[in-house]
Amino acid sequence: MDVKLGVETLRQYYPVWETFEDHCLDAHTINRLSEVVRLQNTQLKFQSSALYADPEFIARKVERMSEKRLAEVFLQSWHPVTELEQLTDGVVSDALDYWNVLLPISERWKRRDYPQGKLPETTNSDTLAELGIQGKEFGKQLIDLWNDLRQLYNVEKKPVDYWKFVKGSSYQETVQRAYHVSFLVTYGYATLQTDGDQMVLVPNDAPSEKTNSGAVSFPVAIPRGL
Amino acid sequence: MILETETQAKSFYSDKLKRAVHLLLFRRGKIPGAREWEFKEKVGKNYERVLAQLNELLSELDLEVKKVAEPRTETAAEGGRAGLEEARYFVALKGTLGVKEAKMIGWRIDNLAALSASVAYLVSKQGKAGREDLEKLLAQKFGRWKALTLVDIFLRSGYLEEDDAGTMSLGWRTRSEIDLRALMTKMAEAKV
Repeated sequence: MDVKLGVETLRQYYPVWETFEDHCLDAHTINRLSEVVRLQNTQLKFQSSALYADPEFIARKVERMSEKRLAEVFLQSWHPVTELEQLTDGVVSDALDYWNVLLPISERWKRRDYPQGKLPETTNSDTLAELGIQGKEFGKQLIDLWNDLRQLYNVEKKPVDYWKFVKGSSYQETVQRAYHVSFLVTYGYATLQTDGDQMVLVPNDAPSEKTNSGAVSFPVAIPRGL
Repeated sequence: MILETETQAKSFYSDKLKRAVHLLLFRRGKIPGAREWEFKEKVGKNYERVLAQLNELLSELDLEVKKVAEPRTETAAEGGRAGLEEARYFVALKGTLGVKEAKMIGWRIDNLAALSASVAYLVSKQGKAGREDLEKLLAQKFGRWKALTLVDIFLRSGYLEEDDAGTMSLGWRTRSEIDLRALMTKMAEAKV
């Protein structure tokens, strides 16, 4: 900022002013200009001191110097303060308050006792069969489904559409049929094939004993609106 | 008669020296060391002579008594006691530490490097810079997450300070422990 120009302008118009407000404005301007001079002085003093460095220069130095070198530079100018930490009145007071509200150890352990639930038990195959998870019931369901598939295949004389076959009266039934079909395919009772965009099922006459080396896991998402 | 006076003076100073050492070394508040008015109150008006004598004793141990001017607080503006004397005295290491010694007292090399970069950057910005600018500078060198953590560490340990507007400045520990002129000179001279 050109302070000299500002002062000369004030001097030029000073004889023209008549009212008190005009002079007050001039005084305010001089006050602001002096503040600018003070700040310029501070800036000049800082720039002439050993502390002056361009921030960009420092940023570039930091970027290019290794961490070890930066640490070494720091250590050459570091004089750490020595002190001994001790208990103060405040800390002792806090400790006493904590101690006074602390429950006896037996009480604290009680709070950590969680109610123990029923331990895991073994179950028998009949219960699993009742739940439809394992046993004769599950095997029977698979065989029934296999028979349905074979019957449909014999009627249509062509591979059965997957979605047409698994679709049940409700979503739950559809999921259950799809679940069973996955076992039919895995155990070799049927083969899942693709016919263009369609998936089709072909029943086998008997469960295939051979392990299919090219078998892959094939997830099928069942949409809700099916 | 002369001998008696000398003995009295010696014990007088010995007692005051002890009181001064206790004030300087045992931490009582958040910041170590003691303020000028504390010395006046507990050591006496001639506390500066006592501290000079203590300084001579400590210099043999590579330590020194350091006087650091503290920025005036609100209490000072209100005319409170702390405002009358704003200088604080510490005992600091006279020499410097090596890398191995710094590691031994719990400092990591990368943390020291980051502190060096932070202080040098703030000094180059005349002591103040935005927190984001500082974090950006550190992130380029140490990575984003580490930069955030490091700034918090330096704030907690008193090397940096932050105001409500998020402006970072040099903290009391930097003013007490770091020879800023030496740091900036070494930084400028350092070969990359």
